[in-house]
Amino acid sequence: MEKILTKKEFPSWIKNLKSFNVYGPVKKDALWEYERIQDPDKLDLNFKNTVLSPKKIIFPQREVILDFNHKKKGKPEIQEALPEETKNVIFGVRPCDARALTLTDKVFEEEPGDKYYLRRRHQTVTVGLTCSDPPSENCFCTSLGGSPHSTEGLDILMTELNHKYYVHSFTDKGRELMKAASDVFKNPSEKDKKDLKQVHKESEKKIKRQVKELSKITDKLKGMFDSPFWDEESMSCLKCGICTYLCPTCHCFDISDEVLSSSPLKGQRVRTWDTCQFPYFTMHSSGHNPRPDKSSRLRQRILHKFSYFVDNYDDYQCTGCGRCISKCPVDIDIIEVLEKVKDYE
Amino acid sequence: MVEMEQLQKEAKEILKQGKVKFVIGYSKGSQNLTATPVFIKKPEHTSRLIWDPTCVQNLVKFIVDDKQKQSREKKPDERPVGIVVKGCDSRAINVLIQEKFIDRDDVYILGLSCEELGVVDEKKIAQKLEGKKIEKIEFAKKNNLIVSTKDGEKKIPVKDVLADRCLECKAHFPVIYDQLFGEETEREVKEPYKSIKKTESQSPKKRWDFWKEQLEKCIRCYACRSICPMCYCDECVADSINMAVTAETTAEEKAQKIKWIERSPALSENIGYHLIRAIHLAGRCIDCGECERACPVDIPLRLLNKKLEKAAHELFDYDVGFDHKKPSLISSFKDEDPEDFIR
Ligand code: SF4
Ligand code: SF4
Ligand code: SF4
Repeated sequence: MEKILTKKEFPSWIKNLKSFNVYGPVKKDALWEYERIQDPDKLDLNFKNTVLSPKKIIFPQREVILDFNHKKKGKPEIQEALPEETKNVIFGVRPCDARALTLTDKVFEEEPGDKYYLRRRHQTVTVGLTCSDPPSENCFCTSLGGSPHSTEGLDILMTELNHKYYVHSFTDKGRELMKAASDVFKNPSEKDKKDLKQVHKESEKKIKRQVKELSKITDKLKGMFDSPFWDEESMSCLKCGICTYLCPTCHCFDISDEVLSSSPLKGQRVRTWDTCQFPYFTMHSSGHNPRPDKSSRLRQRILHKFSYFVDNYDDYQCTGCGRCISKCPVDIDIIEVLEKVKDYE
Repeated sequence: MVEMEQLQKEAKEILKQGKVKFVIGYSKGSQNLTATPVFIKKPEHTSRLIWDPTCVQNLVKFIVDDKQKQSREKKPDERPVGIVVKGCDSRAINVLIQEKFIDRDDVYILGLSCEELGVVDEKKIAQKLEGKKIEKIEFAKKNNLIVSTKDGEKKIPVKDVLADRCLECKAHFPVIYDQLFGEETEREVKEPYKSIKKTESQSPKKRWDFWKEQLEKCIRCYACRSICPMCYCDECVADSINMAVTAETTAEEKAQKIKWIERSPALSENIGYHLIRAIHLAGRCIDCGECERACPVDIPLRLLNKKLEKAAHELFDYDVGFDHKKPSLISSFKDEDPEDFIR
């Protein structure tokens, strides 16, 4: 379904989505984050990149897996804690972040399927927004098979055309969301369609950064596991969690029990984000750590994204959102690292 | 004035003579505004070294890194590491020596004086540009930044975008060094604790609301801890495995280990982490501002540390990192130390 929605009417659409939890980019001080909103005016579609991607809604940093309760007498009670059944919609999803969800789908859809992730994923409608102007100086989606108007992983794509949006839905979920307020949408004119094409074409040209010949890099990486390259490149790495926590495609987690009371024993089993960049991530219970230093951890990040993931799922595990570059406190730049791999003797 | 060529020359010399195993300094960043840390092993690469107000990082963390790496190696290279430091960073070296984490001989210090300037705050620059994207940024003569955006070039005086810590800096030049570049300029600092003035004047309720909102944002990426030169513990209470596990550690011991803080980024846990960290930095934080700069969600961590710095100064007449021969605040006492808070 392809329609036109004026910016003035946009809040009316949201107001009509009474049965949904509505999320979207909200500005707080100098940063934008995806937040649940009640008031459509809080939504700021004129946003630069959010710190965290919508991954934080579909794959929250803390997810309760089960509740446990063991009274003195009797058997321990264990209760699975699946996410609530709700209908969610996220507005203002960047095409790179939506593509990232399709990559994480591949992982969590593997048998037997991750119930927690999949439930949140299926009950969420993603409404994308074309990046007419790239939201970060480090965007490089076009190098990874994406584009500022890619529709992968989206139910709807909105594109800004002056004072209106061109709204295009591709899935049943998307069409349903538009039907919830059918009277606010108008049919697009021929000119609108032409303008849309123009904006999409222009948007690609505005992406400044790129990685060339990625497949060559993937091939090269295969022989670089033991290379001193990783020592050199990781010298300044801090072993913090920024690059991976902020990455829309990183999905590693830890599971731990949080005790709420010790007698009777009561608590929750939770999964929380974890990252290959933390020293304890790979520590065995014997104390041995197969990735003892930062060079092996940087290697892991690059190889997982540009080699192992390619072997397993035939795709790169990076969509070029640029967050890890912009937010790295010591300026480790994934594009540069890849370019150096290519030239490495 | 610091002559960049002089710095490069000296670095080249000590590498040539084999006095140091490598030199840690700054070089031009790739895309981001700030300089990037560089590790130079060969004399012929010293021309990569730069010095300008974008050299924000405190490189002393990498001394800590190297020391920890050495402890894992069978035959470590024990020659000193050459390191480029600003005034604030040099005080971190003093603290590490005071605490006996390193020896004076472990480092060969190339000290740079900030003279009348300091380093820039990226957030302030972003504010000046009112959300416009930076396409190119250059440090030009006469202490100006030339920033290009889609609306053309804009000249921003460095003075207008200096980091808060530089405006409150107690010594703009290294207090410990082997070679000094630039002058030990005097500069009057009227309000060394200006940034905490606002929160200090607020009611406890207001302060609580402020910190609650701030700490709720924390995603526990631990960048603040990772970047801090004073955070060098092998075990940290903030980690879920907060013990050094060896092959001899029994399952029992592992199971009995108390977990002080859960991994969940819940407010209670975040507060636990930040209070512990702040207290552990009392009398140790040298205010290089790196934790705050690294934080991806803009939590004003400096305020916590500044408050403790002020307490150390007012209660114990202790200023951090000025003399490595003096005992550290926590490991010493004087008869006249206040004790009315111990009850
Ligand atoms: S690896 Fe970096 S650029 Fe690629 S998707 Fe992740 S955060 Fe974005
Ligand atoms: S705090 Fe002082 S020494 Fe450190 S960068 Fe700023 S002016 Fe220089
Ligand atoms: S850097 Fe910021 S988000 Fe990360 S742990 Fe520290 S305070 Fe939290």
